[in-house]
Amino acid sequence: MIEHFDPSQQAQEHIQTYAKDLGTPPPAAGAAMVRLEIDGVAIRVPEGTSVLRAAALADINIPKLCATDSLEAFGSCRLCAVQVEGRRGTPAACTTPVTEGMRVTTQNERLARLRRNVMELYISDHPLDCLTCPANGDCELQDMAGAVGLRQVRYGFEGENHLQATKDESNPYFTFDPSKCIVCSRCVRACEEVQGTFALTIDGRGFDSKVTAGQGEAFMDSDCVSCGACVQACPTATLMEKSVIDAGQPEHSVITTCAYCGVGCTFEAQMKGDQLVRMVPYKGGDANHGHSCVKGRFAFGYASHPDRLTTPMIRESIDQPWREVGWEEAIAFAAARLRAIQAEHGRESIGGITSSRCTNEETYLVQKLIRAAFGNNNTDTCARVCHSPTGYGLKTTLGESAGTQTFDSVMQADAIIVIGANPTDAHPVFGSLMRKRLRQGAKLIVTDPRRIDLLKTPHLGEAQHLPLRPGTNVALINALGHVVVTEGLEDHDFIAKRCDSEAYRAWRDFIREPHHSPEASEAITGVPAEAVRQAARTYATAGNGAIYYGLGVTEHSQGSTMVMGIANLAMATGNLGREGVGVNPLRGQNNVQGSCDMGSFPHELPGYQHVADPVARGRFEAAWGVTLDHEPGLRIPNMFDAAIEGSFKALYVQGEDIAQSDPNTQHVEAALSSLECLIVQDIFLNETAKYAHVLLPGSSFLEKDGTFTNAERRINRVRRVMPPLAGKADWEITVDLARALGYPMDYAHPSEIMDEIARLTPSFAGVSYAKLDERGSLQWPCNAEHPLGMPTLHELDFPIGRGRFAITEYVATEERASRRFPLLLTTGRILSQYNVGAQTRRTDNQAWHDEDVLELHPADAELRGIQDGDWLGITSRAGQTVLRARLSERMQPGVVYTTFHHPGSGANVITTDNSDWATNCPEYKVTAVQVEKVSRPSAWQQRFDAFDRAQRGYLAKAQQEATP
Amino acid sequence: MSLHNDAQLIRMANQIAANLGGGRDEESAVAAIRRHLETFWARPMKQRLIAGLEREDSELVPLARQATQQLAERLSEPASVTGPGA
Repeated sequence: MIEHFDPSQQAQEHIQTYAKDLGTPPPAAGAAMVRLEIDGVAIRVPEGTSVLRAAALADINIPKLCATDSLEAFGSCRLCAVQVEGRRGTPAACTTPVTEGMRVTTQNERLARLRRNVMELYISDHPLDCLTCPANGDCELQDMAGAVGLRQVRYGFEGENHLQATKDESNPYFTFDPSKCIVCSRCVRACEEVQGTFALTIDGRGFDSKVTAGQGEAFMDSDCVSCGACVQACPTATLMEKSVIDAGQPEHSVITTCAYCGVGCTFEAQMKGDQLVRMVPYKGGDANHGHSCVKGRFAFGYASHPDRLTTPMIRESIDQPWREVGWEEAIAFAAARLRAIQAEHGRESIGGITSSRCTNEETYLVQKLIRAAFGNNNTDTCARVCHSPTGYGLKTTLGESAGTQTFDSVMQADAIIVIGANPTDAHPVFGSLMRKRLRQGAKLIVTDPRRIDLLKTPHLGEAQHLPLRPGTNVALINALGHVVVTEGLEDHDFIAKRCDSEAYRAWRDFIREPHHSPEASEAITGVPAEAVRQAARTYATAGNGAIYYGLGVTEHSQGSTMVMGIANLAMATGNLGREGVGVNPLRGQNNVQGSCDMGSFPHELPGYQHVADPVARGRFEAAWGVTLDHEPGLRIPNMFDAAIEGSFKALYVQGEDIAQSDPNTQHVEAALSSLECLIVQDIFLNETAKYAHVLLPGSSFLEKDGTFTNAERRINRVRRVMPPLAGKADWEITVDLARALGYPMDYAHPSEIMDEIARLTPSFAGVSYAKLDERGSLQWPCNAEHPLGMPTLHELDFPIGRGRFAITEYVATEERASRRFPLLLTTGRILSQYNVGAQTRRTDNQAWHDEDVLELHPADAELRGIQDGDWLGITSRAGQTVLRARLSERMQPGVVYTTFHHPGSGANVITTDNSDWATNCPEYKVTAVQVEKVSRPSAWQQRFDAFDRAQRGYLAKAQQEATP
Repeated sequence: MSLHNDAQLIRMANQIAANLGGGRDEESAVAAIRRHLETFWARPMKQRLIAGLEREDSELVPLARQATQQLAERLSEPASVTGPGA
């Protein structure tokens, strides 16, 4: 008897087993085993497995076309017909579940004839240009024609057919050629089941059936979000990547991790030599299970964009042209400047910023360089401006600075609260998974000033929207807590067993106070009291309640308080420590979690070990051979203030564009201009680099080895698929700089850096490249106690023993609407662009969003005589910028919205330097503004244009001089 | 010494006091604020805040002022190099 290993049940042997399409998805885990016989081979598989899948597991390969293991069985192509002893006819193997004692025949003369007849009909209406077809070498139709032995088409090709159907080339990344379509519905089903957008449909009946985007529109004009799931599902050349049409079939592939958002999708980078032909989301990826979004799958062209920096450059001052130099000269120049500045202004006058886009190993090295070679703790990372309150808030209440669940946990949730996050745009692959659960009946509560797209998704359960005023999160979470306590919805058992009783009693007394009631806070939040009561009841009584949140929680003056309020609510209702519940921060950038884990913050060594803790510090001192400062260093906003004041003089920035992404741009520009030495290591001349004295060309994620850690604490491998364009991976540049500063670091490969991390960081003690290669990924903590990592946190206890309720008094932000600035601006991101846009603006994703616009409610527009498309001046107490107007009912009156993907938009010229009380995370989400019609760009935009032109001129000049 | 920077530090300290002051008695509120400053603020920021205590026109709220005084006392003790414990 052969007992068949099913890859979905066990995570081993990733690469071999996931390479094969088993035809239908696996049944739910834990099913009883069933014995059957296929073609005389005895097989044992879990109940619920299809005959098609059972056969494929035994390497009995039944021909198929409409079946693929990423989609539910459909039974339309009839190619997988089989015979079952004791049953009549020829059932489709894909829709026939296995039963005990079943005996199946997959090959005989009758089945062969049937399959040939089916194929003959398909091919009679299919172009015969196989040799020049872009799918040649990767076409299931061609393979099946071969498999069934099709030798003739008796019907001829003269009859009515679809061969003249017009191609749709509107999408920049793929074509739709209906002449090659066999109407298997795989694309339509992928759009529904995998992506959840429902943009595709089958229009017409019988011979007229055709795949249509939207209401018969071009793909680009439809609801299609270009995730590419349809392209991946298509068995023919009907939906085809343009990159494959251009380059032909790839010849080898490497498994790696996406460098866009915090979902951290695993991809197969399919290569031709060192040319990347296409990215295909990997079925064995633990975060994405074979799905992706438009960024990860298609927007990789930036890596080979002509704007890539390839040569180190230096200059004395920022009003001078750049000079191209060798690596050694650039590094020596940088090191000499840093040491000279320290000699004159003191050890604490310099610092650095680690990148949340670079690998864990690279981030670790930068903070090590700062602590050990600079000799201070002036290190920070862009998590400062996004999720630092998550670190503070979760550590204070639950004892660990990280989300509690896996992404897959959402499939067990019964009620889902989404606060200040927009997963369909910012975490699209997780958004699709969440939507799948909503279609199965989970209830949804969205807490957001805007009516986000998740509310429009098809649901089976109810969808509640709490449209609160920006800046009033804490009042709302307290009202939810108040309802839980006063209506007796607490999980007393959980609280008694798992939480600190004194802290709980204090919180309970606090939250019961009448001013926290929904009725009292309605005047603050603008959310009707009854809606708040209903939401609290839904969350507390649904069974499994899960909270997902984003920057709409953290980027406030009370970001940290809100995170603690969320943890309070989860503890009070017992929604922690198992599948389907939890507190889940959705991380913005690919390695925000990792950069925090790796000790990027000025007060914490790797693994969140405080610099003042003598034991932890002692271990690092012994390993690094230096004495470390026991006082925290400066955070990014503190560095800016100190630079303007004149006590902070030099900064090393790796892969981070503070000039565009940080708030109050003019303040940042003033700070950067005050520096005597700014070293920027990046793949492009970003906005920060325009203020730099040393430019060190970095490498893209395709050009180096390392690891990223996603929002579920999952450590994924990044693998090099091509050599670094400028000759060095980022970690090698940091090593060179350290050596030039007299602090040699000795690593031959990033795996050795990970070994050092594992030695010094208790939560990473069990992590190694060998284990990552074997397991595919690991979720920290990974140590002796949990050698394979820990998917769900806090199952038995909290790292601080008992969960600690925190007092979360609502303190109104100082930033409030006034007569002068009557509107509240909130900012965010959209699907096609990523963060500052440095990558996505250099791809065809521009086709979706080539400028940032100001969204405002028609009522606010009418009051000011504004029409859609008008130029608007947006003014706050920090500055002014000009954007085009877009009227939108998604907004509530009084609230306006924009994105910050394009530098010239100046979205952050308007945002202020208000920040979270605990972490200085900027209050991006609340800025009081006025808008009015204008006819020309703002003064800042005019200055920006001139500066930008000059700086790009300096770069072009250097490049011209270098190539005579 | 820039006035902007001093004002900024005082604003931050007051914000911390507003958020850590609620739901506690005065003594533990002051201790919580002091611990926060100790744990998260850089040395030069602490020193600047402490130096500002002597200014008559300082806008530090009472809880933040007491916490800053406590911080100053602890920093002058040699044992404080072991960092934020109790």
